Amino acid sequence: MEQGPDMHEQVEKILLQVRIDPPNILKTLLAIQESFGHVPVDAIPEIAHRVGATTAQIAGVLSYYPDLRVTVPGRHVIRVCMGESCYANGCGRVLRELQNYLRADVGETTSGGKFTLDTMSCAGNCAVSPTVLIDRDLYGRVLPSQVETMLERYR
Amino acid sequence: MVVCCRLRWRRCWNDTANMNSATRLYLFNDTSARAAGAGLLADAWADRPEVQLIRLSSRGAFFLEPMVERDGLDGRVAWFNVAPEDLPSILSGTGGTPVQAIPFLANQTRYTFANFGETEPLALDEYQARGGLVGLEEAFRLTPDAIIEELRISQLRGRGGAAFPVWNKWKVAQQTKAREKFVVANADEGDAGTYCDRLILEGDPFRLLEGMLICARAIGANRAFVYCRQEYPAAAATLRAAIQKADDAELLELNGESFPIEVVEGAGSYVCGEETALLESLEGKRGVVRARPPYPAQVGLYGRPTIVSNVLTFATIPQILSRGGAWHASLGTEQSRGTIALQLGGRVKHPGLVEVPFGLSLRQILEEFGGGMAPGSRFKAVQVGGPLGSLFPSTGLDLPICYDAFAKAGAVLGHGGIVVYDHETDMVDLARHFMAFTADESCGKCTPCRIGSVRGREILERIQAGGGTIDDLALLGDLGETMKLASLCALGGRAPYPVLTAIEHFPVEFRSKLKT
Repeated sequence: MEQGPDMHEQVEKILLQVRIDPPNILKTLLAIQESFGHVPVDAIPEIAHRVGATTAQIAGVLSYYPDLRVTVPGRHVIRVCMGESCYANGCGRVLRELQNYLRADVGETTSGGKFTLDTMSCAGNCAVSPTVLIDRDLYGRVLPSQVETMLERYR
Repeated sequence: MVVCCRLRWRRCWNDTANMNSATRLYLFNDTSARAAGAGLLADAWADRPEVQLIRLSSRGAFFLEPMVERDGLDGRVAWFNVAPEDLPSILSGTGGTPVQAIPFLANQTRYTFANFGETEPLALDEYQARGGLVGLEEAFRLTPDAIIEELRISQLRGRGGAAFPVWNKWKVAQQTKAREKFVVANADEGDAGTYCDRLILEGDPFRLLEGMLICARAIGANRAFVYCRQEYPAAAATLRAAIQKADDAELLELNGESFPIEVVEGAGSYVCGEETALLESLEGKRGVVRARPPYPAQVGLYGRPTIVSNVLTFATIPQILSRGGAWHASLGTEQSRGTIALQLGGRVKHPGLVEVPFGLSLRQILEEFGGGMAPGSRFKAVQVGGPLGSLFPSTGLDLPICYDAFAKAGAVLGHGGIVVYDHETDMVDLARHFMAFTADESCGKCTPCRIGSVRGREILERIQAGGGTIDDLALLGDLGETMKLASLCALGGRAPYPVLTAIEHFPVEFRSKLKT
């Protein structure tokens, strides 16, 4: 989404929609991210004003939580679970295969903006590991050899 | 209760309509069953007129998933690791195994997980038909003091990891005078290797709500929250639907006033599973640990008395009320009463959920339930209690699974996660993986954890790269001791355990990487 005067209007609209009592910084930021896919840093002053906090408090919460993003992610976000059961079952090999295939490192977005590659600490799918989460689709017992087919669905 | 009757009627009507033509097939419906392929089966068979699909909570026997069951003459019959093309043999009834004859399930002692595989997660009438809400009715008959007394007799200890006596916490909250009190269910199940809370949220959500209502009645709370990790979207959705159903059935009421329960989702921070960081996060702030005392039971959410307990703890409470505290105390060992929900993962042959009384040995669990090692794997180590849990080599497997024996061995049961590592595991890399995890997840409040975890990771990276010396191993030992003693919460305090036990049990692997 382009940032500009439009963005500020939209943020304002979301802030009016999500009236949270008592004011809650995290919930507000999650609501903005839900609409934008990320939290625009330029919007921090408005958010601070609306929830009655300082810009430092907003920035503090924004930088604290791994799931809050300040940049636009790819159209599809791939998260490889790095939990211990996944580790024991070879998530490292799955991650390497994804890195090679996408030519992107952890935290990076592929050129063209299709995929963002990320990790997560545990998806709670330990009994069917290793696990890869693509957007809201969870894949279990993933083999490195299945990576290509798995991604084809997102073409 | 009008809604329940209507639900029952609708289901009966469906049954009658399909009775003559369709075979009822039961498919399980939690995140892991779907990830194993249950969703694909449901899609493939959705339009088959000869099949009536019923989606139930999962049995937790994930190595058998996708698993399909149908009614037999003597209970259910199951087909394992099913593919869509197996439908004809299931319909003709060939090759199935009676569920009662699956040792993984038959040898368990399921109380908290008794409904799993039997009921539809959101069918309140089915929950009631299998003994649900009896505990809550009992709680309404008892005084708050009598409820807490029943919990004292039960000797229930918190199942999230800290194992604090539940009654004690409730007593403090009950006796603290305040305008408002809160009940908070900790559904931030962040320990890698654990998933029993997720199963409860997705499979038997009314049990959690019942436990929370009993707690609210005992301490005099006005409101409740479930702090659910963002990684569990299906759990949050199921729980929200369950809350709506409970509200429609007029269950969310205490002392003539409404008792709202709200699901709040986190944003990916592991330390928010620590109770005080969780409260900060619920208030919308950075999930930074608070110094204790005061404890949340006295000064909790927005400064009010708050009971924060794990999902499994709340889910254990209804039966303590319905069967009595003495019943619960009759299970398990001297210091560890009741059952424990163990979650098997890693290179074990039969990963899945195992509910048994406390006291069985690690070896029994891994062999009798875990079925030994996955094909092609040889045992190297097992980790109990999540990413902060100690590692055990094959010589440590006779340890009984109970709080006291683990405490004596300098280990923890945590939330019951058990992960098995095989012969291919590089212990130096695994130790680095643990320290990197703590460095990533430290909230930053206390120095031993914030700085210690980063230094620990650096030392392990140095050893891994071949630049470490024998002094680095000693340094890791010193650093670990400092973190254990001086950290503010269990994240920093427990982080050294997996690293130091890896060095203790596999010294050759570490030494072989040192610079000579």
